[in-house]
Amino acid sequence: MKESILDKKMMKESFELIDAHLKEEGMSRRDALKLFGTGGAAALMATGATGCTGTSSNAKGKILIVGGGLSGMATAAGLTHALSNPDITILEPNELSTSYQPGQTLVGGGVWTKEQVVYKRDDFLPDGVTLIKEQAVEFNPDSNTVKTSGGKTIKYDYLIIAAGLKLDFSKIEGLGIDQSITSTGDHSPVSKVIGQNGLASIYFQQGSEDTWKEMQKFIAEAKSGKKVKGIFTHPNTPIKCGGAPKKIMYLADARLREAGARENAELTFYPNGSNMFGVKEYHDAIVNQFEARDMKWNYRHNLVAVDPEKKIATFNRHWEEKGEWDEDLEEYSVVPRSEKVEMPYDFMHITPPQVAPEEIANSPLGSGKGWVPVKKETLQHVKYPNVFALGDIVAVPMGKTGGSARKQYKVVIENLIAVMEGREPKAEYDGYTVCPLITSLSTIMLAEFNWTGKPTPSFPLDPTQERWIWWLLKVYGLKPMTQYGMLSGRA
Amino acid sequence: MKKTSFIVLSTVAIFGLSGCGNAPESSPEEKTYSKTPAEVYAESCVKCHGKNAEGNPAKKGPALNDRQAGELELDLYDVKNSGTNQSSGTEHDIMAHNMKKLAEKGFDYDPKAMAEYIEKSFYKMEAEAAPVLAPEEAAAEDATQTEGEEGVEETPSEESEAAAEEASQEETPAEESNEETAEETPAQ
Repeated sequence: MKESILDKKMMKESFELIDAHLKEEGMSRRDALKLFGTGGAAALMATGATGCTGTSSNAKGKILIVGGGLSGMATAAGLTHALSNPDITILEPNELSTSYQPGQTLVGGGVWTKEQVVYKRDDFLPDGVTLIKEQAVEFNPDSNTVKTSGGKTIKYDYLIIAAGLKLDFSKIEGLGIDQSITSTGDHSPVSKVIGQNGLASIYFQQGSEDTWKEMQKFIAEAKSGKKVKGIFTHPNTPIKCGGAPKKIMYLADARLREAGARENAELTFYPNGSNMFGVKEYHDAIVNQFEARDMKWNYRHNLVAVDPEKKIATFNRHWEEKGEWDEDLEEYSVVPRSEKVEMPYDFMHITPPQVAPEEIANSPLGSGKGWVPVKKETLQHVKYPNVFALGDIVAVPMGKTGGSARKQYKVVIENLIAVMEGREPKAEYDGYTVCPLITSLSTIMLAEFNWTGKPTPSFPLDPTQERWIWWLLKVYGLKPMTQYGMLSGRA
Repeated sequence: MKKTSFIVLSTVAIFGLSGCGNAPESSPEEKTYSKTPAEVYAESCVKCHGKNAEGNPAKKGPALNDRQAGELELDLYDVKNSGTNQSSGTEHDIMAHNMKKLAEKGFDYDPKAMAEYIEKSFYKMEAEAAPVLAPEEAAAEDATQTEGEEGVEETPSEESEAAAEEASQEETPAEESNEETAEETPAQ
């Protein structure tokens, strides 16, 4: 098959890239191999990354971390290295909180099994950190206390909020879901409708496994000769992993092709927004990729209702019309218009609306939209200097990826220690985030960017190209990097 | 097989390490603006958001004096970029449209600088977020703060102070590239 030729070409490209980098580091490929032999990339990262946090600080104070997901655990681990006398407590009720969420796309596409992304919180609790298996339910930042679901009142000197976000399927009518869930917590309120009868969502762990089951049925129908429709939604709220709604669509496309049934399926992306990506270079690349695959899209459609029996999705389609002359603006004003449109589907991947947990959103630490407001560079709370926030819950543009969290937790550690030592917090987050956009079963476009709105590639390669090497990075590399590098607070 | 795992390990190592130094690389071209945030506010924003950023329902302009800079900046960023997420869109459809027009007329601004200006000039502090003061001071502060009147009168002087400060800040980088910046509309 042509795949082996492709492999050779891709392999050559990958080696050229790596050799160029090693040369810069003054290392030969042989030296690198030896180094990896002694303990893999994690060892290399661990040795290299110790310089990140600098020498340990003698600063003292009781640190409370709300949320023990990737952000919270990595911050806790990093703090245990950075402080000589750490006093750290984590509040986290969910025993699967450290699971590898970025892998859920691969589970949904049938590349991984669910077991490959399930990780237990207790296996990643850093030494010396106290874990309370309860939820924070009340926040009193003026008295520096938090109340827990078990009735405890915890007093802190410094608070780090890393409580993540909730998936709010209840905002979609007709599903019969009346409460929000988390990605790895109890999913029973949602699983009674999502994960069957053509409805799927990779946004929660069980949902990702069920997505693959539903996708296989969809593909089987197409293969049997039936003309089928697949719908992929993107809501009007900020979401975690902004690329996932498209990734699962690319994977459906790839699986249909693999089955030789692509021509019987119509695949359409219905996002609330009016572009594919905020960064023009990536937007253009995605549009080209969609066209090349005959994947359709319809902007400005927000999923508001579903009839799971009849398999009909209702969208709020919205647009603007020219209004009256506005003297203050010295332009014609625009008037918002909208209408409800119904679309039949055989398979629909729902990306649910996403919100900040309400006990935080409605507390003095929250904001009008719920997300925790911080100075976006230092990640220090806008009102409370002894409070920091990071991860999905933080109110910064873009972000909400593991890649963002990987940059943020180091900033939080450095700035928290500065505050503990009575210095100004100086470390700055620049908005970096990364979206390894899966475009087939062997390629990925590694979209890295920050608040400049421009691509910010880590490698000297055209970042708008789909590459096999990024597929390898995603499928074999990023999980160990997260598990051994980041959750141990080292990379 | 061995080759593949070498590629993976190397890539991970390079990728992992690239996150280490967190001094943000300075962006290629710093954007500059022809007007200070104070000027933009006084000449344009004021028409729909009010003299004290209290909002103007007749023009459907929401209040801007109820949020601190961090929160406000996020909204302004959203307005200027028609959203902050890949395909979520914006909840400021109308303002995002208006902002494009206003930017063409020279009323452009850096979201951070504008947010800081609005907070400094107009933010109405909630009682609970008041800075910790000595008891007598706090009592005195309370007396003046309960009625809005005092606050309103204070604003002009603070505003001009802030404006002066902004102006001096803006001066320095302005020489570099005004040509490019006028054309660059990141909103997409």
